[in-house]
Amino acid sequence: MKCALCGYDFDETKRLEICQGCLGSGCKKIRCPNCGYETLPDPEIGSKIMKFLKKLKKEA
Amino acid sequence: MSTKIKNWFKYYKKDQKVLKENSKLKSKSDSIESKKIVLLGNPNVGKSMLFNQLTGSYVTVSNYPGTTVTVDRGKFNIGAEKFEIIDSPGMYSLSSITEEERISKLMLLEEDTDILIHVVDAKNLERMLPLTLQLIEANLPIILVLNMMDEAKKVGTKINYSKLEKQLGIPVVPTTAATGQGLDLLREIIGNYHKKDKIFSVEYNEVIEGAVDKISGLIQSKYPISKRALSLLLLQEDGDVKKLIKENDGSNYEKIMLVVKETTSQFRQPLNYLFRLRLQKNATELVSSTLKTEKTDKLSWGEKVSRLMINPVTGIPILLVIMYFGLYQFVGVFGAGDLVDLVESTIFGEWINPIVTDFVVNNIPFVALQELLVGEYGIWTLGVTYATAIILPIVGTFFLIFSIMEDSGYLPRLAMLINRVFNLIGLSGRAVIPMVLGLGCGSMATMVTRTLETPRERTIATILLALTIPCAAQLGVIFAVLAGHPSALWLWVVIMLLLYVIIGLTASKLMPGENPTFYMEIPPLRLPRPTQVLKKTYTRLIWYFKEIVPLFILISIILWALSLTGILNMMIALITPVITAIGLPIETAETFILGFFRRDYGAAGLYDIQSTLTGVQLLVSAVVLTLFMPCVAQFMVMTKERGWKISLLIAGFVVTFAFTIGFVLNWVLTTLGVVL
Repeated sequence: MKCALCGYDFDETKRLEICQGCLGSGCKKIRCPNCGYETLPDPEIGSKIMKFLKKLKKEA
Repeated sequence: MSTKIKNWFKYYKKDQKVLKENSKLKSKSDSIESKKIVLLGNPNVGKSMLFNQLTGSYVTVSNYPGTTVTVDRGKFNIGAEKFEIIDSPGMYSLSSITEEERISKLMLLEEDTDILIHVVDAKNLERMLPLTLQLIEANLPIILVLNMMDEAKKVGTKINYSKLEKQLGIPVVPTTAATGQGLDLLREIIGNYHKKDKIFSVEYNEVIEGAVDKISGLIQSKYPISKRALSLLLLQEDGDVKKLIKENDGSNYEKIMLVVKETTSQFRQPLNYLFRLRLQKNATELVSSTLKTEKTDKLSWGEKVSRLMINPVTGIPILLVIMYFGLYQFVGVFGAGDLVDLVESTIFGEWINPIVTDFVVNNIPFVALQELLVGEYGIWTLGVTYATAIILPIVGTFFLIFSIMEDSGYLPRLAMLINRVFNLIGLSGRAVIPMVLGLGCGSMATMVTRTLETPRERTIATILLALTIPCAAQLGVIFAVLAGHPSALWLWVVIMLLLYVIIGLTASKLMPGENPTFYMEIPPLRLPRPTQVLKKTYTRLIWYFKEIVPLFILISIILWALSLTGILNMMIALITPVITAIGLPIETAETFILGFFRRDYGAAGLYDIQSTLTGVQLLVSAVVLTLFMPCVAQFMVMTKERGWKISLLIAGFVVTFAFTIGFVLNWVLTTLGVVL
């Protein structure tokens, strides 16, 4: 993916480590290894809605 | 069959053919030892594309030994000769800052390389040549690849390759990896590679050259890179090189470090800074004699607007327009005014909360439990209502604007614009990144300060983040609180900027050091895509909501417990003298206690009592709350990054400073009889 701040192309699996500042530290944000800018992964509900809308569009 | 599908089949067949060929060649030439090629260069110069073009699809991905950084390896053949190629992580300089850069440097220090391909963006040759010069200093077998030639031509750049090749003493190949242009020539040069005798040499002053000679004489073992490059890295006190020399030349290590100490003590500025200046000067001279940029009238609209955004004369007014319409009108007036009014007063105030309260009071007999759910600090009446009715509409509108800024590519341009101010206050432009991140979340931004080069920069950036950078939610709520008092809002902006500059300047004077240069890739500017903007806003909102609701509930429970035991009243009584000294009513004391747990919770508390405050009191509260103690999460990251001692010092300074500024501001405004 491409970082929205610095434009760095990176593999999502090579994300920067999490900051562990918040409670639980189970944060799944994708952080650019070059600048640390955070991108959010699609929430599961959102992905399901998008898939459903795409399916509806295809059927139409 | 559509053209897309036809193309897909074409490429699929081509890929299969390459795979088969690679497989055949692999089995044939397993017995022949392959030559090792390392691809090296800044991020975003097309290294991976070049790697894919050279290797076809035959790639293995593995972790670099002892690290979590992955490295791609591939194989290809030129005639009967077999090559192994490694795509190294992006690096700007041999004097590494980030872990990725360090891995690339370790590859050069630890592995014998037959050919090193340094890939640069032809449009930004001047900025990228210093690394080429460092690699030449290391006496490595280099090929310089000027990639993205198509884009360079578009912006009117013409490079005299043969002259550059002659001056550097290494092969120079122009390519466009995306289209495959120039790759045949590159393969030919790789196949017939031989190192030239006469290569470019960077010369430093007498003291440095003398030290390099002394250190080189003391290095006895053999290394993949030259003794000169090792000496220069030792003079920059490179940790990895020190470790390497200690392991292999242990008997002379103390003597070497003595030379390093004696040499560095003769310079006021760090040697890595002076070396970088020297390399850049040489790069500029090389570029001025080999590169010409014709002024072209064919600038796209995006490039024109981009230039206007970065230029301070036009960039600052553009920023003010964005702030006025995006933040003030949309977030402040619409989000915090109309939307919050609808959700908080009507939906929650008139419909939901009365039903929930009646239900709890009628069904739960214990008063303490009723208080926990629907009391003054109740989970529902405080936690859920604040999160849903106040924060959500404000942050939602803020995220929409932020997503537009992000999707359009404005953020990196904003970073470039701020860079100039940063240099004035003693921070490198690279510090722009944690500052921009701080507008999202201060915790992550504090962690990113580790990428800054010097301890001085890291400490200044941490102080500024803790003190003057409000996080997204806090910024949104502060705009909302002050939206009804425009003059107070603009005063808040001016005060924050002024404090930012004063604190930065003071910190840089107290902790003198160098101002390193700024490296940042600027992605193209584009019109924001509505679907992407909505998707990003929705995603941010869902994540934010998932993060804050449990926290707000937890804080409500803590406050309820503190209230039940009387501790909360004691805490309020403790800070009441300070609160009254800065001209605020006692009710705001709770706001500051909430703000300690989470900045946005404190801001929401302020929003809730805003109708009881005057314009001056609102401004003083907003300023103190912005400057006040970073939230618990940010403080924890601070301790991890800077240690307990510095973090406690920063926290102590921040709290004292916040209330002192509040006191002075209130005194000035009330003495002058200002009404906001």
